[in-house]
Amino acid sequence: MPEQAAPEREPATSVHPGGDVAMALLLEAGAVLASSLDPSTTMGQVAELTVPRLADLCVIDLLDEDDGIHDVAVAASRPGLAEELERLRLEHPLRRDGEHPVAQVIRSGEPMLLSRMDNALLMSFAQGSRHARFMISHNYRSAMVAPLVARGRTLGALSALRLGDGTPFEQKDLGLATEIAHRAALAIDNARLYSDVQRAERRLQAVLGNLAEAITVIDSSGRTVFANQAAAELLQVPDPQALLDATPGETMARFVVLDEHGRELDLHAMPGRRLFAGESAEPLLVRNIVRSSGEERWIVVRSSPVLDPDSGEMLYVVNVFENITEVKRVQLAESFMSEASRVLVSSLDYGDTLQRVARLAVPTIASWCAVDVLGEHGEIERVAVHHSDPEMVALAQRLSRDYSLSLDEPLGVPEVIRSGEARVYTDIDVDALARYARDDRHLQLLAAIGATAVIIVPMIGADRITGAITLVSSGLDRRLSAEDLPLAERLARRSGTAIENARLYTERSRIAHTLQQALLPGSLPTVPGAEVSARYRAAGELNEVGGDFYDAFQAEDGAWMLVIGDVCGKGSRAAGVTALARHTLRAAALSELAPREMLLMLHRALQAQPADADLCTVCVVRLQENRVTVALAGHPQPLLIDRDGKSRPLGRPGTLLGALDPVDIHEAGEKIAPGQTLLLYTDGVPEARQGNLLLGEDGLCRLAGAAPALSLDGLLDHIEQGALAHAGGNLRDDLALLALRLTEESQ
Amino acid sequence: MTALPSESVGGEEHLRIDSRTAPDRIVIALHGELDLLGAPLLQQEIEQADVDSRGILVLDLQGLEFVDSAGLRVILAAHEHARQHGREFALTKGSEQVRRLLSIAGVDDHLRVIDAPDDVLV
Repeated sequence: MPEQAAPEREPATSVHPGGDVAMALLLEAGAVLASSLDPSTTMGQVAELTVPRLADLCVIDLLDEDDGIHDVAVAASRPGLAEELERLRLEHPLRRDGEHPVAQVIRSGEPMLLSRMDNALLMSFAQGSRHARFMISHNYRSAMVAPLVARGRTLGALSALRLGDGTPFEQKDLGLATEIAHRAALAIDNARLYSDVQRAERRLQAVLGNLAEAITVIDSSGRTVFANQAAAELLQVPDPQALLDATPGETMARFVVLDEHGRELDLHAMPGRRLFAGESAEPLLVRNIVRSSGEERWIVVRSSPVLDPDSGEMLYVVNVFENITEVKRVQLAESFMSEASRVLVSSLDYGDTLQRVARLAVPTIASWCAVDVLGEHGEIERVAVHHSDPEMVALAQRLSRDYSLSLDEPLGVPEVIRSGEARVYTDIDVDALARYARDDRHLQLLAAIGATAVIIVPMIGADRITGAITLVSSGLDRRLSAEDLPLAERLARRSGTAIENARLYTERSRIAHTLQQALLPGSLPTVPGAEVSARYRAAGELNEVGGDFYDAFQAEDGAWMLVIGDVCGKGSRAAGVTALARHTLRAAALSELAPREMLLMLHRALQAQPADADLCTVCVVRLQENRVTVALAGHPQPLLIDRDGKSRPLGRPGTLLGALDPVDIHEAGEKIAPGQTLLLYTDGVPEARQGNLLLGEDGLCRLAGAAPALSLDGLLDHIEQGALAHAGGNLRDDLALLALRLTEESQ
Repeated sequence: MTALPSESVGGEEHLRIDSRTAPDRIVIALHGELDLLGAPLLQQEIEQADVDSRGILVLDLQGLEFVDSAGLRVILAAHEHARQHGREFALTKGSEQVRRLLSIAGVDDHLRVIDAPDDVLV
């Protein structure tokens, strides 16, 4: 209330306010009430409006939280009256349970008209003698009290009084006062609701503001209407306000935003935007690279809608960002290493293996990965380089071709290989490149690589440095840092071992191959009236010397001997057993021993060997004229393939040699006709398999069914390729075939 | 979080060996494939069993899908070792392929085959 005395006003109109005045009052009251949400201001203005057009004195009282009644606005036409009344009310507050009309109206919620009040009436509700004197001295004459009711609750009351000789209030004045009071009540109620909301909002803000999770609230236009401190930190702005000030998409543009698989995401893929577009929005894992620093973060974005409770319309989306970079790094490193380990043991061809490792590292770990291997004579060979863009790979290949590294260079890969120490180069700039470059073109090529950071780690084998792995981040990709060094070192250790293994393997398989060749006949004999052919294929990986062997030779008595066998054992000892088997069988044949005795002789020879459990399975076939004799020792039965392609096994199964004693060996005889084919094979053929699916004897017989249409060589090729195809190109065991076909002319 | 796979050759587990001890025997049950890769694992297991006990050694092949000559070699070595040490040795039947290989190798007559790993040896 203004302190200075209000100017004397006209006494309240002596005629009742007409329809126009009433309407004007209501309109003005409406405007006043809508202009502000501060009740003490608006109530004052409403009270002022009614004086003098409706009343000489207007008081608005409100119930407070403790059920006390206090005036919030007093307006009066006589100067000083308002102030005097307020002082009086302070000294004699109205009691809610009292007889004062305001208290009565507040209790009943019904308006009250006291058209004419005499002194006795005034005395009846006076709060004391001063109050009574005040009312009488100011000539209280006519009064009306209207309750302030909103949402069924009485908030207070509006009292209007006419003093002195003014016209008494009538029922229709009460109607107007009630209407004004009703509007005032609504305004007060709104203001209170608003302040409750504001208080709740402030509380919410305080809670959200202090959450560790980054939270933003976006409206349907894409604007950020709320952000907490954690969001400001995550999105790398100075404070939450900066996020509110940003235009939609502006914040996101400062990052490269990729999905889990490295595909770039735009704003519309974000779950919040998807919600506004009416789509469902699963939590999204985002790989986020800060454009300015190259820093990489992994963030889970969860969004939930805020709906208008009445219309169901989507008002806001709340985004919660969880930074899971640490967890994801560890997880990625582990899955990368386990994948790298898998790749590194899956092949023993180290060039191929390292190429795959390089591919694996891009783009998970770096933009580029190159592998250099130190050769026997100190030369550095780049065996692998990878980048997701083939053109960039070509560039890197040009670079390593034209500027090959030599071990004595002061920097980079040669220095790491010499020292065995890893190097991390960050903040690579033109000056650094210029120092390293050998000439302008070199510098150009280096610059085109666009490196932002480089890690070089030595690959260390059992006792020496075998090479180095170079990881490079470039362009906008995640920038490498010293944090990546442990992973790079693990990769290098693992690769170093793989190279060592591959070297040993290569060496061993070279020896194995040489031995194997020595164990097989250099050429097959020419058998009159027959064709003879053979195939041998060593299993791909994990090749062991030993394995299958075959032989074909003429016995002392002129008969032809066909021998096929399988030695199980490893390395040079098995090679020894293979040699022993071949030579013993030849020697036995020279002594004119029958097939069964040949096998028994070999069995005794094997048993005389110091090492136990060298197994040997053998099939011996003796061919004399058109008669064959078959003896088997633990070996699959040979097939006799008819001219129409039908085949059947020959011989009786017998015990393999060298392990069990006594052995059980039988001979079986058979006639063979021109055009028929005798096929000896090792178990690598029926056991060619993919998963659990074996080729089997049935499969072999099916392949043999092609015999009528094929030459003997053609048939063996057909069977070999068929077995290989059945094994998906990857034989697990050696495979040997030895076949003889009687020619038609021999008849 | 994925566990690191073992860094053994091949990576995937293609032979599983479960050993258990009964009052009169040790049963070594094989599942999957017994080949060049798996043979050393079985060898190890048998050596371990030899240290632990002097009862019957049973190789339970009911879960074995595939065996090759390298696997056969270990089985026969176990048989031979048991024979030399006066220890009983028996096995159960494996898959069709396993039975076929034992038959071709001519060793089924030399080995004691029982229907179930806990059957009494007769």
